[in-house]
Amino acid sequence: MEQARNYVCTECASAVPSGHKFCGACGAGVPHEAQTLETKFFGALQMPGKARLIVVRGDEAMGEGLSYLLQATEHIAGREADQIPFPSDTWLSPRHANFLYRGEKLVVRDEGSLNGVYIRIRGAAPIKVGDHFLCGQQLFRVDATPRDTSGPEADQTYFYSSPKRPSAFRVTQVLEGGMDGIVCCAHEHTVQIGREECDINFPDDIYLSPRHARVEMSGESLELIDENSQNGTYVRIRGERELSHEDYLFLGRNLLRVEVTA
Amino acid sequence: MIVCSRCSKDNQDHYKFCLGCGAELPRLSGKPSSSTDAPPRGSTESGRSSNAPRARAAQAEALAAEPQMALESTPMQAGRPEPIQEAKSDSLPAELAPLGDNTSPCPHCGAGVPENFRFCHVCGHDLVGEAGGETSDDPPAERTSAPAVADAPKRASTRARLILIQPDGSEGEMFPLSAGPTLIGRSSGGIFANDAYLSPEHAEFRFEDDQLVVKDMQSLNGVYIRIEPDVPIELFDGSVFRVGQEILRFDAPTAPEPAADGTQHMGSPHRGYLGRISLLVGRATTGNSYPIPPRGIHLGRERGDVVFPEDGYVSGLHCRVHSEVGHVFLTDIGSSNGTFVRVSNESYVPQGTFVLMGQQLFRAEY
Repeated sequence: MEQARNYVCTECASAVPSGHKFCGACGAGVPHEAQTLETKFFGALQMPGKARLIVVRGDEAMGEGLSYLLQATEHIAGREADQIPFPSDTWLSPRHANFLYRGEKLVVRDEGSLNGVYIRIRGAAPIKVGDHFLCGQQLFRVDATPRDTSGPEADQTYFYSSPKRPSAFRVTQVLEGGMDGIVCCAHEHTVQIGREECDINFPDDIYLSPRHARVEMSGESLELIDENSQNGTYVRIRGERELSHEDYLFLGRNLLRVEVTA
Repeated sequence: MIVCSRCSKDNQDHYKFCLGCGAELPRLSGKPSSSTDAPPRGSTESGRSSNAPRARAAQAEALAAEPQMALESTPMQAGRPEPIQEAKSDSLPAELAPLGDNTSPCPHCGAGVPENFRFCHVCGHDLVGEAGGETSDDPPAERTSAPAVADAPKRASTRARLILIQPDGSEGEMFPLSAGPTLIGRSSGGIFANDAYLSPEHAEFRFEDDQLVVKDMQSLNGVYIRIEPDVPIELFDGSVFRVGQEILRFDAPTAPEPAADGTQHMGSPHRGYLGRISLLVGRATTGNSYPIPPRGIHLGRERGDVVFPEDGYVSGLHCRVHSEVGHVFLTDIGSSNGTFVRVSNESYVPQGTFVLMGQQLFRAEY
């Protein structure tokens, strides 16, 4: 920390060498401003910082375009959070997610929220049974094909079921309020989602691309593939996830963009 | 694929009539068939509106097409629990196999009718009755004028009959119902003995005053009754109905409680759905599900919100599920093979009603 070089004691007019906190001649203290030549920013926004969050689509009460600097080590977002509050979004838990640094890396951690944290996938991402993902306004869950329960009775009566079409997995739409909506069993190994001519179509969802995304089974594993949709496909994170520049996150109804500045 | 010469629509190889216009399609193979097929939808529907007795025959024929694959007893005896797969396998069931080339002209309309047909597939004319009918002890023409009374001297206690509708649309064996309760099931033998989809004690028929009543004896697969076209039937939570080969269940809306901290469940926009219909693929297993928006949904093979392109027993546009003043209804909209509702405990069976039990279709006459 640099100190003024030609400071003169205001009490006795003696020269005080750099680095001295008291005047050698009269013992008067050297004021703090003279000891440090640190220049302060006019506001925190000017600080270089490491990362920030931009609210792209946001809470009604807080508005869009807000920018949250992530200067501390932990930053709680939630309906009742102090640092990153979204007070009017009932889809957010009071304490929903935590943006924190692990070393130099920014990570987001789901704080056990009801509805979770969703991150936009880049191209394709692995997905598992039980995972949730978002396309446009629609929320989906990947489910396993349930065990067959159509075997004959003990008295040799056969169960009459609808024609069975072999299916590797299924995609279930989750409606607000928690009820299941559309269930689409994969035929072949794919479920395609979009506005038209897909396996699941939402002609009235203006945020969906005509062909938006698909879930595909290759071998034993499932993959969620965004088909270059305009608004992207988001997958719910499990636990903690490292963030990088230009990542997009959904917290409830809020869409956030991550800017890593450092 | 067979391309229709009249409307250019692509039809599957085993189709005998064009799905688009109903025109007869050229046959690909001369393989003879043991039984007949369903008439074209178009002719069925036009027949129904014009000529009642003939329409009835055509209707019965059309109806028989619906359970005809289920009627196959061969796969069952071989221990195959899933007759439906027959439809998807490469070898077609006999009912769907290409017809033979041997035809004879219909005395009524002159159309070339395959020799194994009992009714003309064009006009519904009763060919067997015309020919003197070696087996036809109950031809459709007599049915309306000479009901059960004709049999009364022989079976004094018989008040009603269940008439089996065979795969070719003709009437098969008749099962008498007495005025008292009659229990039907696999254990009652006869025409029911070989139907593995019937429970040993499946259903009970009885009379209440002048009305025939059927009671489902908690059977595995239930008793289904064909609903009248254009008459809405209310659906309740858990109601089951059948369209073509598809068994569907209606479920009233359910939702979990919001979290204790006031957080609500996130999800797709809820457009006031009245519930869902789900395909039943097992006792406790459903396949595809469809939420029902307030405007309702249509079901069909080709048109509508829920389509079953692989189920040839579903009409192009078959039925709809809709709501009136907060209640949910199912309405058949003129389907060829009908929409069947599973009887919940018991139900009246009006005269002439089609009843589906196990793999067999019956008409109740009294």
